[in-house]
Amino acid sequence: MALLSRQPWLVATGLLVPLLTLASPGWLKLDAVPPAWSVLWLLPWALSEGRLAGAAAGLGLGLLLDGLHPGSVSLVPGLLLLGWWWGRMGRQAPLIQRSFSLGLLALVGTALLNVSLMLQWLFLSWRGVASLQGSVAALAGGAEALHQAGPQPALLAMPLWRWEDLSLVGVQILLAQTLLTALLAPMLCSLQLIFWRQVGAGWRGLSA
Amino acid sequence: MAPVRLPRVGVLLPLLRVWPWLLVLLALVAVRLSKGALLSDAYGLVSRPFWPGSAQQEWISAAQRLGDRARLEQLERENRRLRGLLDLPTVQGRRLQAAVISREPGGWWQQLLLGKGSLQGVGVGNAIVAPGGLIGLVASTTPTTSTVRLLSDPGSRVGVWVGRSRQQGLLSGIGTARPLLRFLEKDPDARPGDVIFTSPASTLVPPNLPVGVIQRIHADADPAPEALVQLSAPADAVDWVQVLLP
Repeated sequence: MALLSRQPWLVATGLLVPLLTLASPGWLKLDAVPPAWSVLWLLPWALSEGRLAGAAAGLGLGLLLDGLHPGSVSLVPGLLLLGWWWGRMGRQAPLIQRSFSLGLLALVGTALLNVSLMLQWLFLSWRGVASLQGSVAALAGGAEALHQAGPQPALLAMPLWRWEDLSLVGVQILLAQTLLTALLAPMLCSLQLIFWRQVGAGWRGLSA
Repeated sequence: MAPVRLPRVGVLLPLLRVWPWLLVLLALVAVRLSKGALLSDAYGLVSRPFWPGSAQQEWISAAQRLGDRARLEQLERENRRLRGLLDLPTVQGRRLQAAVISREPGGWWQQLLLGKGSLQGVGVGNAIVAPGGLIGLVASTTPTTSTVRLLSDPGSRVGVWVGRSRQQGLLSGIGTARPLLRFLEKDPDARPGDVIFTSPASTLVPPNLPVGVIQRIHADADPAPEALVQLSAPADAVDWVQVLLP
């Protein structure tokens, strides 16, 4: 019921996240990497509403944002876990409401979200290369000449993050996004936390 | 008293009488030795009011442009006909102007969002061209928007060739602003400064669109040499792009 009464606000503010992701201003980017708007929205919501609402919002948000990107890698697992985790933390509210802790939580959360993406890419790359090498070996039938024939165009043509790119560029993206999000979180998340608390208090007051 | 005649002056007299002609001769010799310097300078000075003005230059350059354009069209027609004879894919069809409404040149996904979609005829796989050359391919469409995967995105693979030596390679995004060109041969004839075009052998992209310039070559990369390519179209600055409709 609490969730239902806040639905207009939940939907309206939740829709802001994909909008901000699309219209992220150039001056609010670090090394051309925008902040993780999903983390900045999910953190206060999950802290104020608990783990179930947090996980549900993470799932919904992940599905929304996945629609904006081509490819099979998904934000859902990362956001789902973060929503659940922060929702559980909400119990120790007084400890967490300090801006410093919000920044720290956003930092860890963004890093985890990026690591979840990197792990997915690694898995996809590993599976793709393994299956391709299997089929090439089957085709070659153990002929050494085919193994020595130089680069396999099919392997080069696989549209994937390779490990060496991921370890260089991926880490750079992770660091930039984590830093930027953690810097913005104390400001934006504390305001949202107050807002969700007020909306919640208003509803509880009416019902009582 | 008889006047005293100086015999030496008498010898010089004819010379004195012709000295203007001597000067003229001297001047002519000077003109000859200086390869006509005075003459043509004088002609230039005198004829200056009648020199062709700027208007005439414009006519001529306009005529030159017209001639060039006609020649280009003729060559393109000829090229299309020859490619048709060889059953190779050609660049033909319409070009659709589309505004860039969202830009994500960095981060995990490097993409643009365009303000034209499937209702206007944009389809998945259409090539996107900006001033300077190819910037990416359409990855997905909605009725009124389409998402473009930039050449720098790690999911982007485009067949290209070196314009000078016709060595084939695969342009692979690696997440940075400069994609990597992976050659398909062990010993490619390529050097920094070579211009990269889309490969006529590729079925994904129209042939011979300019892509970029080779900046650095790693000759000892495994399994085949690689080159860093500076893209010629600035994907993070364009506001309008053209969709090449098949």
